[in-house]
Amino acid sequence: MKKRIIGALGAAAVSLAALMAPAMADGNLRVAIPANLNTLDAAKTKLGEEYIMNFLVFSGLTEVDGKGGVKPDLAESWAKSDDQKTWTFKLRPGVKFHDGRLLEAEDVKATIQRIQDKATGSTARVNFDIVESIETPDKQTVVFKLKIPYSGFAELFGDRQVRILPRDKFDTVATSPVGTGPFIFKSFTPGDRVELVKNPDYFVAGEPKLDAITLRIMPESAAQIAALETGDIDLVWNLPLESIDQMKKNPDVVVDSTSTSTWDGLIMNAAQKPFDDKRVRKAILMTLDKPALVEVALYGQGTPTHTMIPPSHPYFNKDLPISTPDIEGAKKLLAEAGYPNGFEATLYVPVGRPTRERLGIAAKELLAPIGIKVDLQRVPWDKFVKEIEGKAAFYTDGFFSRPTIDTSIYPFFHSTGSWNTQLWNYKNPEIDKVLDDARAAKTEEERAALYNKFQALAEDDPAGAIPYVLNHVNAYRKNVKGFSSSPMMWLDLRETTIQ
Amino acid sequence: MAIYVIKRLLGIVAILAVMSVLVFAITQVMPGNVANILAGQFADDATIKAIEHKLGLDAPAYVQYWRWAGGVLSGNLGNSIIMERPVGPLIWEAFKSSALLAILAFIMVAVFGILLGVIAAIRQNRFADHAVSLFSYVGVSVPEFFWAIVAIIVFARYLNWLPSGGAGNISQGFWVWASHLVLPVLTLTLTLIAHVSRLTRSSMIETLRSNYVRNARAKGLPEKVIIRRHALRNALLPTITVLAIDVGWLLGNIVVVEAVFSYPGIGRLLLFAIERHDLPLIQAGILLIAAVYCFANLIADLLYAYFNPKIRYGHAES
Repeated sequence: MKKRIIGALGAAAVSLAALMAPAMADGNLRVAIPANLNTLDAAKTKLGEEYIMNFLVFSGLTEVDGKGGVKPDLAESWAKSDDQKTWTFKLRPGVKFHDGRLLEAEDVKATIQRIQDKATGSTARVNFDIVESIETPDKQTVVFKLKIPYSGFAELFGDRQVRILPRDKFDTVATSPVGTGPFIFKSFTPGDRVELVKNPDYFVAGEPKLDAITLRIMPESAAQIAALETGDIDLVWNLPLESIDQMKKNPDVVVDSTSTSTWDGLIMNAAQKPFDDKRVRKAILMTLDKPALVEVALYGQGTPTHTMIPPSHPYFNKDLPISTPDIEGAKKLLAEAGYPNGFEATLYVPVGRPTRERLGIAAKELLAPIGIKVDLQRVPWDKFVKEIEGKAAFYTDGFFSRPTIDTSIYPFFHSTGSWNTQLWNYKNPEIDKVLDDARAAKTEEERAALYNKFQALAEDDPAGAIPYVLNHVNAYRKNVKGFSSSPMMWLDLRETTIQ
Repeated sequence: MAIYVIKRLLGIVAILAVMSVLVFAITQVMPGNVANILAGQFADDATIKAIEHKLGLDAPAYVQYWRWAGGVLSGNLGNSIIMERPVGPLIWEAFKSSALLAILAFIMVAVFGILLGVIAAIRQNRFADHAVSLFSYVGVSVPEFFWAIVAIIVFARYLNWLPSGGAGNISQGFWVWASHLVLPVLTLTLTLIAHVSRLTRSSMIETLRSNYVRNARAKGLPEKVIIRRHALRNALLPTITVLAIDVGWLLGNIVVVEAVFSYPGIGRLLLFAIERHDLPLIQAGILLIAAVYCFANLIADLLYAYFNPKIRYGHAES
């Protein structure tokens, strides 16, 4: 009995000590993200929140900066054959997975083959349709043979889903991911938080600088902002656009904004009347006031553009002016197309995607002067994906930044593009040729010229209206140093410190 | 009595079985399925077919249902399709968190609801009565997400007394743990307390006017004894029924409160599952909530019998 009492007292003392312990270790960066993660399996990720994990826990063969550049990551170098159909990657020697095993060429091969498998359901799969075979002549070398010449192949490995996974851990990667990245996965409490700790064996010496990262899942923006202001968290990822002005007034908080190639668009389905007529699409484009749409839909946090190539990109066509509204010209085009008095159209907008909802509302007003009477319908997301996208004639939609110029454009604009037929059924043989040529282009100048031409063609014969690219905004406390927002909207925290 | 309880328990099992068929049927007619979610926007049909085949979603509906039901009967709730982890621990962890919120809120509603109701009844048409009425009407007529956001702005942002959201861990200290519960529990209490306090007030007023209370007063019993022993005990009967119904309300409100306060409970988990058509997770979550509701009503009926000798379940002579 006495023993038991002493035991109980001991236990009480231990738990009391636990109560007194400081809440957080130093060097732990606490980040607020709005949504729960579906999966931790990089190949299957589809959400911005999941992409954050992909870049903290895993690495790719290469790394892209979102502005057209590509650098080594797990591959220390690569070479392409003259016909751009054979690509050889040399792996960085001595890279260890978090479980201590050495990275081998076989891991790369198995990772890519898994992405190519339809049953995996990776959205990166279509990008690797061009791969004919993968060979691993030795443990440090991977050779890809392609079906077509493809100049942007190295950039594909900087993509979000294309993280190199250990081939013996595919079955458990969704719940306990093991990678080669700067941080090691510790725990995930669904709906609450993800805990990561520093990888002491990270292959870049001196990185990462933080000891740990906590990703807190906080759906309500008022809660995120209160937590940032009181110091409960250090960084809010992807700050809601409507809170930016309020945050800027706080002297303890830094608001950091960068332009991305994430875009919203007014989708016009060329397989359906009246949008099968390019003059109708052009008339609608001519009516839209792009800077005004940036103000209304994004509270000013965006940049008017021609296509999904953002003005910050080296391939942006600077000779082409951003179109200004031309109501008379638009009316004339509509009359030529056989709609002198305009027409009635139903515009579908997805519920829960606020920028696209506001874009729809603004479009309704802007199209009235040329006689297009828009009936606005808000549709729940599930139904939107299943019944509206690719099937309705007129709707607003939007797409996340993609890491390479080819994967940003080809799937949408090429007549055989994987997303084209499920979006707007756009066909333009000239654009097809330009995009195919750009894939095989041998020099930067050649590539830049082709993409400049693409933008001019798309302005003349629009697939839909892409009025702007969005800004990505993060807010963090003053004591967070060495952080800058990424145009790809993921968090690069390798150089970040807390002071 | 025992026979009555056994009958009711069997009834609950039957209700849950019917529920599971209903939930399954509803997920079948919802637009899209989990394969669409896994394949993502604009996936081609071949990809969706491949995923459906891998998950066994291409089997006839009754086969799929039986596969799930067979698993449950053998004690296996299955795996979450989206998260690829067992449903059991996932649901259990979330349920424990929610139960803590719900139980605390329920106690607050019961204790303060009854207390305020009694005060209002005794002070009928006086200042305290009007104050209680106003407080409870304002609480019930404004939705919980509004109160939740007001609470965050006032107590977390400006006063900085309490955290704006999340769940504390007991290992971080008792106060850290408890402080995370204060705002969600207060919000839940505020939106539910009116049902209980209004009902207690009116039934209390009624009993205070009854003949037996007049009798007790005539006997010269102290007012405190009259209220506690004679009036309240009888006035509580309808309150118990309302409290049981409030369990249902509480489970509904908790979804919103968990979302606003970033609290990792079963309401948010269920919302997550429903948005993604993750059937094993939906089934387990809904059945658990349905079971809680059924048991709350069973307990209310038993308490009713305990408080009211006129009601006895089972045979008259027992």
